[in-house]
Amino acid sequence: MIRVTDLRKRFGNSEILKGITFEVPPQTVLGVIGASGSGKSTLLRCLNGLETISSGTVEVETVRLEATLSHSEYRKRVKDLRLKVGTVFQHFYLFPHLSVVGNIIEAPVHVLHTPKKTAETEASELLESVGMTHAARRYPGSLSGGEQQRVAIARALAMHPALLLLDEPTSALDPRRINSLRALLRTFVDRGHTMIIISHSMGFLAGVADNVLFMEGGVAVEFGPTDEVMKSPQDARTKDFMLSADSTD
Amino acid sequence: MWLVLFCGSVEAQKVLRWGADPSGGAPYVFTDPANPDQYIGYEKEMVDALAKAMGRQAEFVPSDWETLVSALQRGSFDVIVNGLEPTGDRAQQILFSKPYYIFQLQLTVRRDDNRINSIDDCKNRTVGTLANTAASRLLEQRGIPMRGYADPVAAYRDLELKRIDAVIFDVPAEAFYARNNPKLKPAGAPFTRGLYVIGLRKGDDALKAEVDAAIDKIIFDGTLETILKKWGLWNEAQVEFQAPIRSGTQSTKVEEYTTTNATFNWREALWRLTRAAAVTVLIALGSMVIAVVLGLPLAVGQWKGPSWLRGLCTLYVEFFRGTPVLVQLLFLYFGLPVFGIAMPGWLTALVGLGLNYAAYESQVYRASLEAIPNGQWEASYSLGMGPMLAFRRIILPQAFRIALPPMTNDFVSLFKDTSVAYAISVWELATAYRELANASGQFLLLGVAVSAFYLAMSLPMAHLARLLERRLRDRALERVEEEEAPA
Repeated sequence: MIRVTDLRKRFGNSEILKGITFEVPPQTVLGVIGASGSGKSTLLRCLNGLETISSGTVEVETVRLEATLSHSEYRKRVKDLRLKVGTVFQHFYLFPHLSVVGNIIEAPVHVLHTPKKTAETEASELLESVGMTHAARRYPGSLSGGEQQRVAIARALAMHPALLLLDEPTSALDPRRINSLRALLRTFVDRGHTMIIISHSMGFLAGVADNVLFMEGGVAVEFGPTDEVMKSPQDARTKDFMLSADSTD
Repeated sequence: MWLVLFCGSVEAQKVLRWGADPSGGAPYVFTDPANPDQYIGYEKEMVDALAKAMGRQAEFVPSDWETLVSALQRGSFDVIVNGLEPTGDRAQQILFSKPYYIFQLQLTVRRDDNRINSIDDCKNRTVGTLANTAASRLLEQRGIPMRGYADPVAAYRDLELKRIDAVIFDVPAEAFYARNNPKLKPAGAPFTRGLYVIGLRKGDDALKAEVDAAIDKIIFDGTLETILKKWGLWNEAQVEFQAPIRSGTQSTKVEEYTTTNATFNWREALWRLTRAAAVTVLIALGSMVIAVVLGLPLAVGQWKGPSWLRGLCTLYVEFFRGTPVLVQLLFLYFGLPVFGIAMPGWLTALVGLGLNYAAYESQVYRASLEAIPNGQWEASYSLGMGPMLAFRRIILPQAFRIALPPMTNDFVSLFKDTSVAYAISVWELATAYRELANASGQFLLLGVAVSAFYLAMSLPMAHLARLLERRLRDRALERVEEEEAPA
C-alpha cells in the first residue's frame, strides 16, 4: 500500500505542498494532474526522497518516512525508500557513457549486487517488454526521445520497485507514440506494478489512470476514480482546468 | 660646448669592458656583501690595475660563466677575466693573453667521510663541479660521474646534504667557500697546475698586445703580488711563475703547465642526450601521476567540501598557481633540507612539478565535474546509489571525457616544463643542451637534436590522447538508425 498523509513541503517561507493526503492501492495507477506551479513535481520529488518533507508522512509498503524523524534515521529511511520507488524523469537522465544494457544493469549490479549475468538476462527481458531489444548495445546519445523513455522505464523497473513514478511522460512524444506508451504502461500494471503518473494531459491519463488527483496551488483539490472526476468534477477549479485542457489537447 | 667637452673626456679615457660571472664568483669577482651595489674580488682589483696600466677605464659587464665565450664573440664585452683556462677547444674560438695566475684543483668531501682521499677514490661516485672547467674535463677524462653546477655554493651545499660524494674546484673558490666549513674537509693536497689567462676576440691582436704588456707590468712592479696577498692567494706556485718576469730574464714557459681539452664527439653527446631524455620522461610521467591523483581530492574538496576544506584547497591552488614553479623547485631543493628533508634533484623536480600541476588539474577536474547536469546525480540517487557510488560510476567517467582535452594540453606542456629542473642541476634535456652546447659551441645542431627528443615525447602523447578522445566521442555520436515501425 502507498499512503501519503498530510504531506507538506516548505521552501523558506513559501509552502509548496499544503497538506496532501491520498492512497494508491496496489496494482493501480494514480494520475496527478495540474497546471505548472501546482506543486505536482515537488510531490513527486518528495515521494522519491529527492526533497526532504517538512511535515506529514510518506509510506511505501514497509518504509515509513516521517518529518519528525531524527536526521540520521530520516536519511536511512530515504535510502530504503529509494529502493522501493523507481523514477522515470521527464528528461530521462540516461547515463550517456553507458550502453543501453549498461544503463539498466548499473544499479542492480552495484547496488543490489546481483550477479552480472543474471542482471543482463533480466535486462534483455525488460528490453523485450519495452520493445527495445534491437538497441541493447547502443548508447543513449543515438536514441530518439521515445526510445530513451523506454530505456528509462526499463532501467527503473530493473530495481523491482514497489512504486514507479513517471514525470510528464508525454512531453517528448508525438500522438502516435502517446498511444503506444499508454498501452505499454497498462501491460506493466497488469503484471502487478503500481504507478503514479504526473501529467498535465487529462486525455493521456483518461486511458491509463485508475484514480486522479487534481492539484492546484499546493492543494489536492479533487481526488477520485478517473471516470468520476472527468465526467462530473465537483470543484469549479477542476472544471475550468478540464475545459481549457480539452481545447489544447 | 658641454657636448664637446663630454665627448672629449670619453675620447681621452678609453674603456676596457670585461665580462665575468659574479654569482657565487668569490674570490674572483662577486657582490660585496657589505655593499651590495658594488663588486669586489681579486680579479676585479687586478683588472682595475691592468686598465690603469693601459690608460683605460675598467667597466665590468656581469655575465654567465657558461656563455662567456659566446657573449665575448657577440661583443657584449672586450675581454673575459674569470679564471679562464687556455683550453684547446677555446683556442679555436678566441685569443688568449699571457697567463697571470697558476691555479690548482682541490677535492673536498664531508668531514666524516673516510672513503675518499684522492681523485682516484672517486670511481663510481658522483662528483660536483662547475660545468666546462678544468675540473669537469678532468672528471670526464677519468670517466667519473659528474654533476654540473652553476656556482660553488650549490655544489658544496649538495655535498653537505649527501646528494653528491665529493666536490672539486679551483683552489681560490675552494678556499673561499669550503675551507672554513666545519662539515667539510679537503681530501688530499691540491693537485695539477693550470693557467688563468684573459680571453679576447680573434683578430683583436692590438688589444692583446696591450693586455700582455699590462700583465707584465703589474707582475713586474709587484702590484699583482700585493693583490694576491691581500686575498690570501699568494703561494709557492705564484713565486715560481712570477720569478722570471720579475727578474726580467725570460717569459713564462706555458708548456710546463697542464691544460685540458674538451673532446666533443657526437656519439657521446647523443648518448648523454638520451640519458637526459630518460630523466625527462621519468620526471614528466612521475609528476603527471602525482598531479592526476592529487588533483581529484583538491577538486572535490573545493567543490563539495565543508567551508574550511574549501578554503584550504583554494589556498593550495592559489599558492601553486600564483608563484613561479622555478621558485617552488628552488624552495624544495634548498629550503626543505632545513627541515631535514633532502631529496635528490630528480625527485625534487618530480614532486615539485607534481604538486604544481595538481593545482592546475584540480581546476580542470572541477570545471568538468560541475559541467555534469544535476539530473545525473538525481537519476543515480533515485536508483538507490549512494553519493560515493554515483560519483565513481556515473559522474567521474563523464567528467573525464570533458577533462581529457585540457588535460592533454597540460601534460604536453608539463613535458616542456621539466626543463626548469635545470635550476637544481638535474641532468635533463634542457640542462644537457645547455652544457653540451656551451662545451662544444654546437648550439644549432644540438638544438635540433634536443627539439627532436622533446617532440618524440610529446607527439605520441598528443596522438594517444586524440585517439582516446575520438573513441569516446564516436560512441556518443553513433548514427541514429531508422526508427522502428510503430507497434
